[in-house]
Amino acid sequence: MSNLSDEQGQRRKQDCPNKQECFELLQLILDGEATAEQKEKFTREHLEDCMPCYRNYHLEVAIRELLRSKCTGSAPQELIDDIKRKVVQNLAH
Amino acid sequence: MEEVIRQQYSEKEKLNIFNKEFMPHINSMYNFAYRLTLDADDSKDLLQDTYLKAFRFIDSFQQGTNAKAWLFRILKNSFINDYRKKSKEPSKIDYQEVETFYNSEDVDRQITPDLRVEALQDMIGDEISVALNSLDVDFRTVIILCDLEGFKYEEMAKILDIPIGTVRSRLHRARNLLKEKLSEYAKKMGYKNA
Repeated sequence: MSNLSDEQGQRRKQDCPNKQECFELLQLILDGEATAEQKEKFTREHLEDCMPCYRNYHLEVAIRELLRSKCTGSAPQELIDDIKRKVVQNLAH
Repeated sequence: MEEVIRQQYSEKEKLNIFNKEFMPHINSMYNFAYRLTLDADDSKDLLQDTYLKAFRFIDSFQQGTNAKAWLFRILKNSFINDYRKKSKEPSKIDYQEVETFYNSEDVDRQITPDLRVEALQDMIGDEISVALNSLDVDFRTVIILCDLEGFKYEEMAKILDIPIGTVRSRLHRARNLLKEKLSEYAKKMGYKNA
C-alpha cells in the first residue's frame, strides 16, 4: 500500500457511505478470508478513493503488528523439560 | 465434531508425533494458556495438563491433520472444564445481547473509534497486552486465535465449537472493543482526538 501523499489525501472522499460493510470486508481481507475478487475490488477501487477506509486499513494493520510483537511469549524451558520428562515416564508405565 | 478414527501407534511413533508435531507449538500453547488464565501458575498447569492429555489421547490424532488446531482445542476444553470455574472471570457473555448490539445503529459509533496509527506507534510498553487481557475471555480468545496464531475462521469454528458466522461476529465485536481500550490509552497519552 502506497504512503499517503497530500494530493492523494485531498482527492479521497472524507466520508464513507458503507462504513460497516467496508469494515467487515476489510477484516475478511486482512484475515485472508476474502476472495481474490473481493480483495481486488476493495483495494483497487475503494481504498484509493475513501479516506476513512484508507485510515482504517492502516490502523488495522498496525494493531495486528502490535499484537504480534507485544502479545506473544515463550514457555519457560523448565516447564518444557518437565512436560517431556513426564511423557517419557508415562510411556514407561 | 467429525467421527474420530482411532489409530494404533507404536511407542516409537507416539514419541515421534509428540516431539515432531506437538512440541513445536509449545510456545503458542503457553501463550494461549497464559492469556486464558491470566495467572502464571495456572497457565503452567493448564499447559502441562493439555500436553499430557494430548499424549494420552494420541491415538485419536491423525497424522497429516492440523496438530496445532487439535492441541488448541484440547487446551480450550481443559480451560473451560477445569479452570474457568475457579477463575475470577465474570459470568459468560450474553450473546443475544452481543447480536442485538451488532445489529443496532449504535454499531457505527463503535466501528472507527478515532484512534490513530501514530498513537499506536507510541505504545511501546505493555498497553496492548493489558488491553487484550482486559477483554472478556471469549473476545480475547478469538483475537488470540486469529491475529496472533493465524487460524482460519473454519479452524476457529472447530476449536471453539461455534458456527463460522459466530466466529466472524465475535471477532468483529472483539476488535472494536480492543480499539476502544486502545483509544482510552491514547487519550491518556495525550492524543486529544484519539
